[in-house]
Amino acid sequence: MRAQLMRRTLPSLVLGLLFLSTPAMGSCLDKYQELLAQLQKQADIMQRTSLLLDPYIQSQGLDKDGLKEHCRERPGAFPSRDALQGLGRWEFLRTLDTTLGRVLHRLTALQRDIPKAQDLETLNRAKQNIRGFKNNIHCMAQLLPGSSETTEPTPTDPGTSPSPTPTSDTFQRRLEGCRFLHGYHRFMHSVGQVFREWGESPSRSRRHSPHQGLWKGTRRMQLSRKNKRLLPRGQLPR
Amino acid sequence: MALFSVFQTTFLLALLSLRTYQSEVLSEPLPWAPESLRVFINSTHQCLHLQWSVHNLAHHQELKMVFQIEISRIKTSNVIWVENYSTTVKWNQVLHWSWESKLPLECAKHFIRMRSAVDDAKTPEQSFWSNWSSWEEVHVQNSLGHDPFFVFPKDKLVEEGSNVTICYVSRSQPNNISCYLEGVRMQGEQLEPNVSVFNLNHVAFIRETGTNIYCKGDQGDSIKGIVLFVSKVLEEPKDFSCETQDLTTLNCTWDPRSDTGLLKQLSQSYTLFESFSGKKTLCKHKSWCSWEVAPESQEMYNFTLTAENYLRKRSVHLLFNLTHRVHPMAPFSVLFTDVSATNATMTWKVHTTGNYYTLLCQVELYGEGEVIQRNVSVEVDGKQLFGGLKPDTEYRAQVRCANANHFWKWSEWTRQNFTTAEAAPSEAPDVWRNVKSVQGHSVVTLFWKPLSKLQANGKILFYNIVIENLDRSSISKLLSIPAPANGTELNLDQCLYQIHVTANNSVGTSPASVIIVSGDPGNKEVEEERVKGMEDGFSLSWKPQPGNVTGYIVEWCDHPRGPLCDLQWKSVGPTTTSTVVSSDAFRPGVQYNFRIYGISTERVPYLLEKKTGYSQELAPSDNPQVVMSNLTSRSFTLSWKDYSIESQPSFIQGYHVYLKSKAGQCHSGSEKAVLSDDAVCCKYRIDNPKQKTFVVENLQPESFYEFLVTPYTSVGEGPHGAFTKVTTPDEYSPILIRIILPMVFCILLIMIICYLKSQWMKEKCYPDIPDPYKSSVLSLIKSKENPRLTIMSIKDCVPDSIEVLNKQEGTRKSLTETESSKATYLYLLPTEKSYSGPGPCICFENFTYNQAASDSASCGHVPVAPVAPLSQLGLLTSPENLLKALEKNYMNSLGEIPAGETNLNYVSQLASAMSGDKFILPTNPPEPALCSEYKMQMAIPLGLASPPSSGSSSLSSVTLLDEGEHYH
Repeated sequence: MRAQLMRRTLPSLVLGLLFLSTPAMGSCLDKYQELLAQLQKQADIMQRTSLLLDPYIQSQGLDKDGLKEHCRERPGAFPSRDALQGLGRWEFLRTLDTTLGRVLHRLTALQRDIPKAQDLETLNRAKQNIRGFKNNIHCMAQLLPGSSETTEPTPTDPGTSPSPTPTSDTFQRRLEGCRFLHGYHRFMHSVGQVFREWGESPSRSRRHSPHQGLWKGTRRMQLSRKNKRLLPRGQLPR
Repeated sequence: MALFSVFQTTFLLALLSLRTYQSEVLSEPLPWAPESLRVFINSTHQCLHLQWSVHNLAHHQELKMVFQIEISRIKTSNVIWVENYSTTVKWNQVLHWSWESKLPLECAKHFIRMRSAVDDAKTPEQSFWSNWSSWEEVHVQNSLGHDPFFVFPKDKLVEEGSNVTICYVSRSQPNNISCYLEGVRMQGEQLEPNVSVFNLNHVAFIRETGTNIYCKGDQGDSIKGIVLFVSKVLEEPKDFSCETQDLTTLNCTWDPRSDTGLLKQLSQSYTLFESFSGKKTLCKHKSWCSWEVAPESQEMYNFTLTAENYLRKRSVHLLFNLTHRVHPMAPFSVLFTDVSATNATMTWKVHTTGNYYTLLCQVELYGEGEVIQRNVSVEVDGKQLFGGLKPDTEYRAQVRCANANHFWKWSEWTRQNFTTAEAAPSEAPDVWRNVKSVQGHSVVTLFWKPLSKLQANGKILFYNIVIENLDRSSISKLLSIPAPANGTELNLDQCLYQIHVTANNSVGTSPASVIIVSGDPGNKEVEEERVKGMEDGFSLSWKPQPGNVTGYIVEWCDHPRGPLCDLQWKSVGPTTTSTVVSSDAFRPGVQYNFRIYGISTERVPYLLEKKTGYSQELAPSDNPQVVMSNLTSRSFTLSWKDYSIESQPSFIQGYHVYLKSKAGQCHSGSEKAVLSDDAVCCKYRIDNPKQKTFVVENLQPESFYEFLVTPYTSVGEGPHGAFTKVTTPDEYSPILIRIILPMVFCILLIMIICYLKSQWMKEKCYPDIPDPYKSSVLSLIKSKENPRLTIMSIKDCVPDSIEVLNKQEGTRKSLTETESSKATYLYLLPTEKSYSGPGPCICFENFTYNQAASDSASCGHVPVAPVAPLSQLGLLTSPENLLKALEKNYMNSLGEIPAGETNLNYVSQLASAMSGDKFILPTNPPEPALCSEYKMQMAIPLGLASPPSSGSSSLSSVTLLDEGEHYH
């Protein structure tokens, strides 16, 4: 039991320390490589299923044969890795920020189905981590050229964005929650890979170049609008 | 009685038949039949809610009616429920009735109808059933979505142990759907072609988030399920109680008992209702609730605590007087003033709960294992004086209060610590010494035990040591040893010293401890006794001393085997002659030595007794290292001189010598013993632990033995480890070795000497050519001063003829080389050539002539004859004897010479048994054994020679080899 608790809390503590080194809003880290490395580490930690998915499956009794296999990410719930890799840096950060905003709302909705205070604490820590990650995304967007288009950092308050309407069927809601968390961890895994690619080949791809925005800012905005036009609302590119 | 019953039944049946007849025959609708029947569905609670009204009632008319409600399932003919619902119907009233289905309503169609009857005494003529209303159909499945199948009921909440019915509804008729309860497949029964039901009996609580029940189609890709929330049974709260601390707020607490184990939104709630005031509050917590006391002076309160959840409600009641439930708050501002070494004053304050309340306060003081308790009546401030405290001691004081008029509960304790001031040490330190004489000086090591907290009365800062020379009273010396030292070493001369030791703290000095030390350590030789240790130490006793003693001291070392002895002592009074010495350092298997000293009135310690013992004796863990010696064919000796009996884990009582042999026979002095490995051996017992040698006897030569020497004690003997192997030697070998070795040595010595002195020996014993001048005979003759005796020269002889045979040309060899060369013989042959017969072989070697013979006839030879018989010749083994034997043969051969030829003057000196072979010598050289070498010949004076004996012997030459033999 103690080991399980350690398994859950240790990554969160590490993340907390990482966020401690993150400047508060308005005083971002201005070193690109350091910030990128920090985002990679955060994404690597947030992809761990021991943070959210595993405790959720256990508390909801979904750890049974015949149920576990239905706890898979629904296609389209989160952007695929290919879709993320296909995005420009600025667009990638915006997608990441938006998706994590949805995750925050969904986690809030999941709270009412979690009875144990310990699991609730785990969930709240995860939400704090996501908020910190979003702040770092904001800082990274400021370091990219054309930073005037960046969004505001995530406020501590969950906000008033409508959460997905959960079904009244507890069982279905339970399964959906499990699928959602599965998708979330997979998504963070893909995000980590993309950040890693940023670090490995800063100029390999023109699309991923931090200097791209200096002369491609207009086009990037056009691509962004195009993407929005092609994809239905709520569905992210894969 | 039976007859009456039969009559009554018959009457009722007749009445019922009459009414039925009336309703059917009249067939007129009842004026108060149920109308506007509507059915509502509550899927969550699986309830059908019926709503209808009764028309034609006059205004303000009330009528008692019975409504019979009939419910069918699947089809109208399948009636599953009939119930009569009685109520008073008013004008324009909408009536309600609910029915809870055990089967989820979605699982099957339901049909409902009802009829009514007046059950009112005011209108008895209308007391018959109305017509049935038309069937109202409830078919929830129609409102389901387009999913392939569904599972019901959704999110049902039941208590643990309930029976629950689950169903699935499939859209397709041939379905292959499997349903599972927490992963375990359930077996159901088919209700309709597309509906199956599963009955769960006595459902158990699994987790707070509910029990997962789900169904999967045969493809496995679609899954539908429900969560069954199973609650534990809500229990009645226990220990419901209310009290106030300030008369303004009541705090009510209870034990909610075991949790129902549901999500927070499904869990039970608690409400508090006070009947006198009619107020009600919903408690925010599961185990306590606050209640504002009414500003008006309401003294009595009657509370009802209700625990309620979706399934059950529990209530408990409490009636009390507010003033009897005062639980004062803990006192505060606890202080100590005027704190000295033995006194302190404690003050505190209490919270006011009203002007007219008096509190009873309880004060407790803990320190050094003692408790002082006081009760004080307090209105605002409390005060308590404590006396008789111990110096430099930390005390913990605590105070609590309660309502003095109506005791309900003590308040919480309020605690405060304080420490009394220091005082001078009250006891002299316990001092002991160890005296050693080193080069005419005394090295005195003083030890003292630190004062206990009770004796020190503060922190000991240093120890003062005053050394006073009693022989020269004017000389004294002061040493100050800082604490926490517990000893010091002093170098003193042989004078008598009195040493004062005092302990000092910040306040003062302790009484002095005085000890007299002299050059004599006082360790007179006393016999050491053994003592037996006990669990709690050693019980020592000693003889009381006839003289005056001021006390006794028992001294020992806690670690006798260690480099630091860690000297300990125990002081007892003069009337005590026994004590128990215990120490945490005592270990089993360690020998402890105790010395008991008496302290004289002059405070001079002197040794009385010595004791030694073990707190617990252990069996020896090692055996002695045994050396074997003096191994003979019949015995050997074992010795273990290096084995120390003092350092063993118990008193060694002796030794066992185990001897294993193939014979298995034990001689006297030993007994048979069976070892742990079932080996049989002989055991010798040595009862003297100081005897460390043992001779094992009565052994067999050339036999294999194994032996082991192990000590034995009162708790057992040493380990039966490896035996030492030995084989006894052959019995005769030592004797033979003792004889042969010296002999060989002697022979070798002789041979070496002979080899080294061979030339000398040869010259002395057997020279190649004897030198007549060196002859001892000659020297003998010369000693007789006979001038006539001389050496015959060869040139003086006129031989008849000399024939040299077997002369080797070109080779000049010495005649001494007889061994390596062929012998050269000179044969004196007769002149007559006609002589051809066999004759004696005469070998001319060397001659010593008889002077007389020489004188009488030139080269005249005295006929010689054997002088002595063979028996007189002695051993043939010596060269001399051999020569004698040869002479005898020679003489025999002479005897064969014809008488006419006896004038021959030469006498052959070579004995030859093969005299006739002289002609074949060139081809067959004579063997050395047959023709011997030269012999020393001596000329013997006639006077000394024996006259020739007639017949038996004739003297031709006498070999004087041994004068002792021949001179008679």
